[in-house]
Amino acid sequence: MNKSADTSQPFILFELDHTTYGIPSDMVQQMEMVEQITPVPNSPSFVVGVVFSRGQVIPAIDLRVRFGFGKIAYTLRSRLIVINTNERTVGLIVDTAREFVSIPAQTIQPSPEGISSLSGKYLAGIATLGERVILILNVSELLVLPELVSERSP
Amino acid sequence: MSSPTESNNFFNEFLDDYFAECEEHLAVVRRELLALESCMNQPQIEGSILNELFRSFHSIKGLSAMVGVREAEKLAHQMESYLRSLRDGQISLKPEGFDALMSGTQILERAIGAYRTKEDPPDIDEIISQLEACNPPVVAKTPTAAITPFEVKLKPEEKKRLEALVSEGKQIWHFVFTPSTELSKQGIGVNAIREQLQAIGELIYVSPRLNANQKILFDFILATQEAENHDLGSELKYLTGEPYQIPSPVSEANSGSSNLKVEPPREPEAPATAEAPGEVEAIGTVVNRTESERKESEERTETAPAPAEVLETSEAETSNNISPAKSTSPLISGSNLVRVDLPKLDELMRMVGELVITRARLEENLKNLPPSFPAARRRTLQEINLTLERQLRDLRQGVMQVRLVPIAEIFARMQFVVRDLMRLTGKQVALEISGAETEIDKFVVERMMDPLLHLVRNAVSHGIELTEERLKAGKSAMGAIALRASTAGEMVIIEIEDDGQGVDIYRVLKRAKQQGLLSDSVSETNDPDNYDSQTILDLLCSSGFSTKEEADLASGRGVGMAIVKNTVQELGGCVKFTTKKGKGSHFIIDLPLTLAITDALIVEVSGQTFAIPESSIQEVLSVEHKGIIRLEDQEIISYRGHVFPLRYLARLFNCVVTTDESEKLTIVVIGNSVNSTGLVVNRILGLREIVVRPLTDPFLQSPGIAGATELGDGRVVLILDVSTLISSKIPKIIKPQQFINSG
Amino acid sequence: MRRILVVDDSATMRKMVMASLRDVKDVAFSEAGNGLEAIEQLEIAPFDLMILDLNMPDMHGLEVLRFVLNHPQYRETPIVILTTKGDDESRTEAIAAGAACYLTKPFHPKSLSGEIVNLLSEPCWSNVH
Repeated sequence: MNKSADTSQPFILFELDHTTYGIPSDMVQQMEMVEQITPVPNSPSFVVGVVFSRGQVIPAIDLRVRFGFGKIAYTLRSRLIVINTNERTVGLIVDTAREFVSIPAQTIQPSPEGISSLSGKYLAGIATLGERVILILNVSELLVLPELVSERSP
Repeated sequence: MSSPTESNNFFNEFLDDYFAECEEHLAVVRRELLALESCMNQPQIEGSILNELFRSFHSIKGLSAMVGVREAEKLAHQMESYLRSLRDGQISLKPEGFDALMSGTQILERAIGAYRTKEDPPDIDEIISQLEACNPPVVAKTPTAAITPFEVKLKPEEKKRLEALVSEGKQIWHFVFTPSTELSKQGIGVNAIREQLQAIGELIYVSPRLNANQKILFDFILATQEAENHDLGSELKYLTGEPYQIPSPVSEANSGSSNLKVEPPREPEAPATAEAPGEVEAIGTVVNRTESERKESEERTETAPAPAEVLETSEAETSNNISPAKSTSPLISGSNLVRVDLPKLDELMRMVGELVITRARLEENLKNLPPSFPAARRRTLQEINLTLERQLRDLRQGVMQVRLVPIAEIFARMQFVVRDLMRLTGKQVALEISGAETEIDKFVVERMMDPLLHLVRNAVSHGIELTEERLKAGKSAMGAIALRASTAGEMVIIEIEDDGQGVDIYRVLKRAKQQGLLSDSVSETNDPDNYDSQTILDLLCSSGFSTKEEADLASGRGVGMAIVKNTVQELGGCVKFTTKKGKGSHFIIDLPLTLAITDALIVEVSGQTFAIPESSIQEVLSVEHKGIIRLEDQEIISYRGHVFPLRYLARLFNCVVTTDESEKLTIVVIGNSVNSTGLVVNRILGLREIVVRPLTDPFLQSPGIAGATELGDGRVVLILDVSTLISSKIPKIIKPQQFINSG
Repeated sequence: MRRILVVDDSATMRKMVMASLRDVKDVAFSEAGNGLEAIEQLEIAPFDLMILDLNMPDMHGLEVLRFVLNHPQYRETPIVILTTKGDDESRTEAIAAGAACYLTKPFHPKSLSGEIVNLLSEPCWSNVH
C-alpha cells in the first residue's frame, strides 16, 4: 500500500437526472431548499436568478441548464448548495442532495478523453465506490464566464 | 550577539502592524509634503511641517530596522537626516531638495511595498546620493541641540507666538489638569484633555509638573478666540484654569533671558507652604528648553518661592459640551485613535442594515393593526416606532461617521502622480485642489483610488498638451487640472477638469460607426453637438475602443475608462462627462455618501418588484395613453415643457408588457433636468428605506441593475441602475424642434 | 508581580517590545504613546521599570527620564532607554541623567529580556555606574 492511498477527502453528493455527482465538502457553505429566487434580466441562461444567503446576494445556478439537460420544476427535494471558492459565493440548484461521504483519493480517476459532451467539461474526475459511480465536479470550470453577452440591445 | 536575521524573524509576526503603521506615517508625509510645497516660496517654512516629516521618517526608520527592511531603513534614515538639517535651520529648502523629498517618498513607498509582495526592492543608491547632495556634511553638533519637548515650537520666533496671538486679540488661558486613577477609569486622561483643549483653541504649551505634595499635574496654555471671553475656567470639567497674563518685558529683562514667567494658577488643594527648591521640575515656566536655559530655570525656581494659594474651584457641574471646532494645532498626538479593520466596520453596517429592515417590518405590522385595537395603545406603539426610527437613523449616522475619511488622502496621491508625470512628459501642469476635507466612506476611497488616479494620469498624459502646442493654440503655457470634491445631500461629487485638448468627438463617432455601434438612421448626421457627452462616454467605454491601437483616438481614454465607469456604477454612483475639442474635458463623478442604506421607490413591473433609488427620481406621473407621442420607434412624452423618452421596463427586462391600453400609464421620471427618461411601470408599491446589497458576482452583471435589496420577506428585490436607463446604448438624437407638442 | 511601563510613540514598536518580554515571569505591562501619558502613569498605575524611547513628539524621552527620576517615589526606578543609531549624544546624556541602560534599535529580543530580568532582580538598584 502506498502512502497516497490513505488520503481521502469528504464530499457532498447530489443528484442530477439520476446521476450522482460529488463536490468537496470544504467548499460547501450550506445547503438550503429552493425558494424565492428573483430573476435577473439579461443574465446567462443558467443563472436562474439571485437569492439571499447569509446577508449576501448570490447567483443561483441551475446545474441542469448548465450541463445542457432540460430544466424541470423544482420540488421539495430540490436543493440549493451554496459553495465558496476563489472569493466567489454561488448557489447550485440540484435535484436532491443529502449524502456526505469520504472518498479515498485512489478511487478517483481522471475523466476519460472521450467525453466531449457539455457535462464532460465540468468533470474533474470519476470516482468508483464499490458499485457506485460518482462524477466529481470541476467547480472552477463551472464558474467560468460564458462568452460575454453582446452589448447591443436587440 | 545573535545575527540580525534571527531577531528579524522574531518580529515577523508584526509585519501587518509594520505595514499598517508605515502606511499611516506615509500618509502624514504625503499630506505634509503637499503643505510644504505650498509654502516653499515663503521666507519662513512652518516648523511643524518639517518636524512632522522628520518624525515620520524617523519612525519608519526605527520600525524598518526592527523588522529588517534594510532599504527602507537606509532611505528613511537619509530622509530623516535631511529633514533634521532643514528643521534645525542649517540649510534652506530648494526646489531640488523638494524634488528629492518627493521621489524619496515614492521610492520608500516602493521599498516597503516590495517587502510585502516579496519582490526585489528598488534601487536606492541614486536617491541616496541625491539626498546627500542636498544635505551639507555633518557639522559638529553643539550640545544644546534640540533635546527639548517641543523641538520646533521653541525656536525664538515661536516664543513670540503668544505675544502675536495676544495682539491678534486672542484670549490666553492657563489650565491645570490633575490625573487620578478614578478619572483614568472613566477614560479621562491627559491625552483626552489635550484633545479637548485643542478643539477649542491653539495649545501653546503643555508640560508636566510635580507639586508640593508630590502629585503630578499638567499645565496647559491655550489661546482661544476672543469671542470665548466667558469664564472658560469654570466651564471645562476636570480642569482648573484662569486667564493668563503675559508678564511685562521688564521682568523678562530681569530674568536675563527671553523666558516668559508664569504665575502658577491656583491649585486644587495646596497648603500654604513654600515649595521645596529642587523638587519641582518646572513651575509652569514657558521656556526654550535648551540645556543652559533649563538650568537657569531650575535655579530661578530655587530662589523664587512659588506662592501656593488656596484655590477657589468652581467645580464645573455644567453639562456644557464645547463643540469641537476644527483643530489646527500641530500638537495633535495620534494616540487616541483606534485602528479598525474595515471588515469590522462592514459588519457593523450590515447589522445596522438588518435593524433598519426589522423596524420597517414593525411599521408595516403596526399599520395593519385591526381597528379594534385600542387607539391609545396604538398611538403609543407608533410613537415608540418613530423613536426607534430616529434612534436608528442616529446610529446609522454614527457608524457612517466612523467609516468616513477625508478625500484628502486620494488628492494627496494625485499630487504625486501629477508631479511624476510632469517630470516624465516635460509638460507643465498646475493642480488645483478644493474640497479636500470632504469626507467619504473608507470603502469608497479604497475602490475609487485607482479609477481616480487613472483619470488624473490620463488628463496629464493625454489631455494637457505640450507647452509649445498650448502656446500655439493661444493657451497659457501651464496646463490646469482641477480636482474638486463636495457633498450634495446624500451624494459626494468628485470633479476632474482639465483645460487640455479634449476628446475629438468627430473621430470617436466615425470610429463608432465603423464598428457598427451606432444605428444607421442616426449615422447620417455627423454633427457632434447632437450627441450628448454621456453617449460619448459610453462609446469610449464600450468594447470597440478597448484595444491599444485605438487608445490614441480617444486620447488614451480607452480600457481604463470602462473600469472607472464600472467601479462608479458598482458603488451606486454615476459618471458624467463633457468635453470640447481644444478646450478640455470635465468628469463629474457622483457617489453615494452611504453605501448601505437609501430611500427607494418600490414599483411593480409585470408581476416583478423593483426598487428605484429615490434620489434619482424627479417625479411620478400618471398619464393617459393619448398623451404619448410616437417618434420613429420611440415613445416620447411632453410634460410641463420638458420632453423625454419613455422606456418600458417590462421590455427592457424581457418581460411581457402588461399595461393596459385603456388605463393610464404610471411613469416614474428619472434623471436630472438635462437628461430625463420616463420609466413605465405597472404600479407604485410605496417608498421605503432599503439596504443596498451589491451584486458582485460576475454572473450577475446586468445592465440596468445596480444592486439588490430585501424588503423583509427574504426575497431579493433588484435595484435599478438609473444611469444606464437614462442613456441608451444606441444613441438616439432627440431634437426638440423635430416634433410637435401635443399639449 | 512587577509592572513595566513601555513608552514609545509607535504602537507597533510597543507591541514588539512586549513580545520580546513574553517569557519574563511575573510581569504586567502598561503602555504610553507619549511623554505626557507616561508621566500620567506615575500617578495612576505605578510601575517598577520603564522602557523609554527617546525620540517622541512633544516631549523628548530625556525630559520624561528627568521628570521620573526627580519624583521621590521613582528615584530608584530602572529606566531602559531605546535609541536609534545616530542618537549618540542623547544616549550619553541619558546615562548621565540616570538611565539604567540603553539599547539601540534594532535590538535582539533576547538582549532586551536579558537586561530586564537582570534589572528586575536587583533588590535595590542604584544610580551609580
